[in-house]
Amino acid sequence: MALEVRLRATGAIPLDVAFRAEAGEVLALVGPSGSGKTTVLRSIAGLWHPQEARIAAGGTTWLDTGARVNRPAHRRRLGVVFQAYALFPHMSAVRNVMAAMDRADEYEARRLLHLVNLHGLETRRPAQLSGGQQQRVALARALARQPQALLLDEPFSAVDRATRERLQAEVIALRAHLDMPVVLVTHDMAEAQLLADRMVVIEAGRMVAEGPTAAVMADPAALRAMGIRELAAMLPATIIERDADGLTRLEGPTGPLFLPGITDAPGREVRVRIMAQDVILSRQRPEGLSAQNIVPGTVLRSVSGTGPGVLVHIDVAGHEIVARITRRAADQMRLAPGDAVHAIVKSMSIARGQIIRAPEPRA
Amino acid sequence: MDWTALGLSLRLAGWTVVILLPVAVILGRALAYRRFLGKGLIEALVMLPLVLPPTVFGFYLLVAFGGNSPVGDLWQSLFGNQLVFSFEGLVVASVIFNLPFAIQPAQRGFEAVPVEVREAAATCGMSPARSLWRVELPLAWPGVMTAMVLTFAHTLGEFGIVLMVGGSIPGETKTIAIAIYDRVQAFDNRGAAVMSAVLVGISLVTIAVTYWLSARVGRRLS
Amino acid sequence: MLFSLSRRILWAALTALIAAMPLRGAAQDHAPVIAAASDLQFAVTELAEAFAAETGQAVRLAFGSTGNFARQIRAGAPFELFMAADEAFVADLHADGFTRDAGDLYALGRLVIIVPEGSTLTPDADLDALERMLTAGGITRFAIANPEHAPYGMRAREALITRGLWEDLQPVMVLGENVSQAAQFALSGNAAGGIIAYSLALAPEVGARGSHALIPGGWHAPLRQRMVLLNGAGPVAEAFYAYMQEPRARAIMARHGFERPGDE
Repeated sequence: MALEVRLRATGAIPLDVAFRAEAGEVLALVGPSGSGKTTVLRSIAGLWHPQEARIAAGGTTWLDTGARVNRPAHRRRLGVVFQAYALFPHMSAVRNVMAAMDRADEYEARRLLHLVNLHGLETRRPAQLSGGQQQRVALARALARQPQALLLDEPFSAVDRATRERLQAEVIALRAHLDMPVVLVTHDMAEAQLLADRMVVIEAGRMVAEGPTAAVMADPAALRAMGIRELAAMLPATIIERDADGLTRLEGPTGPLFLPGITDAPGREVRVRIMAQDVILSRQRPEGLSAQNIVPGTVLRSVSGTGPGVLVHIDVAGHEIVARITRRAADQMRLAPGDAVHAIVKSMSIARGQIIRAPEPRA
Repeated sequence: MDWTALGLSLRLAGWTVVILLPVAVILGRALAYRRFLGKGLIEALVMLPLVLPPTVFGFYLLVAFGGNSPVGDLWQSLFGNQLVFSFEGLVVASVIFNLPFAIQPAQRGFEAVPVEVREAAATCGMSPARSLWRVELPLAWPGVMTAMVLTFAHTLGEFGIVLMVGGSIPGETKTIAIAIYDRVQAFDNRGAAVMSAVLVGISLVTIAVTYWLSARVGRRLS
Repeated sequence: MLFSLSRRILWAALTALIAAMPLRGAAQDHAPVIAAASDLQFAVTELAEAFAAETGQAVRLAFGSTGNFARQIRAGAPFELFMAADEAFVADLHADGFTRDAGDLYALGRLVIIVPEGSTLTPDADLDALERMLTAGGITRFAIANPEHAPYGMRAREALITRGLWEDLQPVMVLGENVSQAAQFALSGNAAGGIIAYSLALAPEVGARGSHALIPGGWHAPLRQRMVLLNGAGPVAEAFYAYMQEPRARAIMARHGFERPGDE
């Protein structure tokens, strides 16, 4: 039930990408504005026609320029959430969802709206809904199609940050119900890293990196395309308890972590995004520091860039943290692979949006 | 009050609307969505009846459909009577000279449908026909309505072309506009005044009903 | 269903409209259409009523300029009887095979000069007052029928040429598409007057709005009005044609200012 995509185009919008997303997998298409990622999505949807392409979903070939197969958009079983929602303005929310069904079923439409947490607003028109609510309706409508692939085109870029974080959390929660590949187009690395299992980095229409999220995040070519400042690592942790002074204690791979702003219940598994530039390194375990999170680990390797910075990859009980420090500091510390080192992260550096519930294991 | 002429005018306007409604939807939609070679030419041709003097237009119609033309002869062999000086001839002429009134507002109506909404309809699995019926027409409806009302009202009032192509044959081509002219020439100002008032009344009612319906559609969308 | 009230109303209206709209009108009777020159506006209307009263049969009437009707007949207009104001047009149609026969001379027409009420121009048969006002620059507009295709216009032109006023009247001349329209212009109050048909001037609707005087018949070629049955004319048209030659019809024509040919 996978989605296979291979595209090539020359001309005004050059493209050269090839990737595959498995059922239930979230694949993020990331790249700067104008890199062509939206064009790739529109090609999959059948709204744009590249010169050479093969697109197949769930075993059905949607497009094969070599074999002269080209299913028009309305004959591809896909669900699309557009950046501007694109809801039908003359239909209520529930009718919008029913419009995507082969056989209109109001009961099922209402169930889908409940699934995306839209309660009590089913009969409202889009003009009477907020941005976040409209996006939920768009998502329900995409799901109502019973798609073989779900395509999300920068779905959260048009809402405010608070709504965006809420919607991202809901998408994570929704994943347990999704058994189709999901392609997410975004220019936000953090969002990609938080939501996606696989990543494809596109620059000027060309694929620069492709693979599991962790691998791509470590890929220098990808980082160059996305900007080094976006580099971050994801650490899994379990919520233990919330302390009285507002910090929550979590159990990380090598010890406790203290983070603010967590509202989930104890026992929940989460992933914490730690940006490389927020990590300080120390050979000894420091005392008297304000930072609450001191994570012991082993140096894996150091990677120099063209500037004054150095990336130090640190193994933390099988997971990885990356620290970005000056070359001078690295020279002074004389770090070598295998050395024991402590990674220090300020609690306050980790914003609420950088903590995401771990996807539930699929049945 | 020449009821025959009034009935004739209403029938002429009605048939023109019925014939031009699908034309307006299909052609207006094609012109709104697609950019194709010759689009500018087609748009100019559609506009042509608007800028041509009615007499020029009537003259060319007579030449094209009159007794000794291929079209006229074809009609005669098919139906046994002339195309000119007949009600059918008036309908043909009316459909042609109302093209700009029917197509342009419909085209504007379809242009107002956001392209994302059309793409969303396609990705929701709607074929172009289903998308037209369930998404585009409801949104483009004000434009299409305006087109039909303009066509209806314009046909009711058309004089020069009707006179040239149809003559003034009572019960066949003598529309109410021509009947009014006829009453004036017969020095029957009272008769002319009565019919004029009726014509104005019908036009006003038609326009008012359309605006009411348009407002309802507008409210549905907001 | 996604239909709203407004759409239902629209569909109902459209359906009703179509249901009530046969392409061939139900109201279409098969009464023959008579093309009559405009000067016959009142005479033939009365004749048609008398014909209907006497025979129970109806005719349909169309009025316009003789030349225009001749053109339409050549283009295939479905008239059955043509009552022209000038026999030359009938002769041409007959020569070209559009008519059943050479037709019948049914009347002789006369010209009058007519001025609207309150006009400074006085209608006199010699047109002396007209000449005086013209020289003095007091004529704003003067109306006749179009000499190109309306017989009464042609004759008016001849009369004015005979009287020597044609050239001087050119700058202020207004042409009516037919002699009825010329009468409209002449009596509109925007013109000093005009030359129209005697039969029109005698009608109460027209006569009440102005005063007139007969123009000498010798100043122009005679208005020999001929009628003719066209190809495809039916029995009702034939009956009307015959009726025109009966004494009752002749009397009505005489009352409308027409002379009988042979009575001159």
